[in-house]
Amino acid sequence: MGWSSQQSTRLHLEMDILSRYFPTFFLKDSIIPGHAIIEGTLRSNAGHEYIVRLHVPADLPNSVPIVEIVSPVLRDRFGHSLADLGTSYPMHLLKPENGVVRICHYSASHWSPNITFSKILLKIRAWLEAYEGHLDSGYAIDHYLPHMTA
Amino acid sequence: MTPLVYVFEEQVRDLLSQAGDVRLLDGVAYGFDDWTVFHAYTEKPSFTPSGHICPCVAMRSDATGFVDEEKLMLQVRSRVDPDGGPIVVLLVGTGVADSPSCRALVLTEKGVAGADTRFVPRRSELFSRNTGLLETSALAEKKVVIVGLGSGGSPIALELARAGIGHFTLIDFDRLELGNISRHVCGVNDLGRYKTLAVRDQLLQKNPFAEVSTMEVNINQALSQVEDAVAASDLLIVASDNDQSRFNLNQMSLNNNKVALYGRAITRAAGGDVLRVRPWKGPCYNCIFSSGLIDGREEEMSQKRQALAILPAYVEEDKINTMIQVGLSSDIAPIANMMTKMALVELSRGIETGMSTVDEDLASDFYVWANRREEAYANWPRMGFKWTHPSILRWYGARVDRDPNCLVCGGHLEEEPAT
Ligand SMILES: [Zn+2]
Repeated sequence: MGWSSQQSTRLHLEMDILSRYFPTFFLKDSIIPGHAIIEGTLRSNAGHEYIVRLHVPADLPNSVPIVEIVSPVLRDRFGHSLADLGTSYPMHLLKPENGVVRICHYSASHWSPNITFSKILLKIRAWLEAYEGHLDSGYAIDHYLPHMTA
Repeated sequence: MTPLVYVFEEQVRDLLSQAGDVRLLDGVAYGFDDWTVFHAYTEKPSFTPSGHICPCVAMRSDATGFVDEEKLMLQVRSRVDPDGGPIVVLLVGTGVADSPSCRALVLTEKGVAGADTRFVPRRSELFSRNTGLLETSALAEKKVVIVGLGSGGSPIALELARAGIGHFTLIDFDRLELGNISRHVCGVNDLGRYKTLAVRDQLLQKNPFAEVSTMEVNINQALSQVEDAVAASDLLIVASDNDQSRFNLNQMSLNNNKVALYGRAITRAAGGDVLRVRPWKGPCYNCIFSSGLIDGREEEMSQKRQALAILPAYVEEDKINTMIQVGLSSDIAPIANMMTKMALVELSRGIETGMSTVDEDLASDFYVWANRREEAYANWPRMGFKWTHPSILRWYGARVDRDPNCLVCGGHLEEEPAT
């Protein structure tokens, strides 16, 4: 099964918005629902670059997309790999897959089909700033980012 | 007391229509109350029967109607071993005006006793009492998809079967657990079973002629299969327990231009809400979700699986357990009842029934109910004697319009599907 016509329309809309606000992001393997990903670079205020991958859900836009930081390998202030932390409340991390860090951005109970990929990437930008704040100060990420109540 | 034996007229007709010289046939019977009442079947019933099982032998008697009872009883005794219990013997024939007739005998160690026989009538007669309020023959043709067969969906399914709806597709992948029993139409007899199959048996108890298909799938992972069922239906009823499924079903309802009804209970079933989506004519589920109308009205968490599905993985076990707080069955009942009525209004559309004035009243697409002055209703005044202020135990319709910025049904779509 391919994308429905509504989903194709939605994917176009998403890419259209991304081309304006996050122009480095492009769509890969877009033919097969469940395999499509969107990948691009986010740059922090300090100028560091991160490659970010967003998995487009097969039931787009009805569930929360998985977002991973593909590179560089993220470490905390003390040199430990963030992926080794596993699921982490203070660092806003979901269970990593294949050693790649997954960011907790929107929780399922706060998800709505009105949330676009661009809004998610804004949250990832905020997470990256908080992450760099952590590297500077040692405070956990939730010192900078409030949690959504479940 | 003379034993009483119930027989399905449809089965008797089937037996009579069989060609050939079959004289004795093994069926099955279920006895109740010290073997005073029996339900006898010439073939396996289509639903799960209750009662104590005992043998049943059916015989197609000749047109002359003469049966040598003594000889027959010897034949029956040599055929089945009742193990101390009774044997029900059915003598099936054709009576006046080609109507089927059936005489029942109950054979025990003490001897043979004639029984009173009653037919369970065919479809057309079963719902004759509804005539006038509901056009039941038209409703028998209607197809309903019900997603979620828990404390909300199961009573709706049952009520619609009682009203004479003839076709059901039941979708749920949960099994009935001990913790569900107090709020579910099924009981300990059905522990461990898929809710779909257990509810199907309950439906067939109310309407043995209903066609019930079931799908034991997680709808979020079986989208095309579920959409096929929605496309083939007249109405979609959503009593599932998570937003992802409601978002997916909302899209299917819009794609296929099928009216959908959504119901939920809020925390501890302090109240609930019901939404009717008339695709492209009124607000969709996403319009309501983004409208702020349900903000602060957190959904009731009734089981761990439900909580795990929506909570981030780092939420601790303790917190999850404290979130699971359920209300009473009587708190869910008004919500299920409202959905049933709205379903009957939708299914009766275009048919002249007593439901049409109800349709005029249900001008709103979104309704709110309060069971107790707590949670979202904590600041409501007491009911007292006034009619003019909000109160528990009454329905309130809210005016909600389509959201032009809704990313599901709003203006970004080039065109709406042809209706
Ligand atoms: Zn909408």
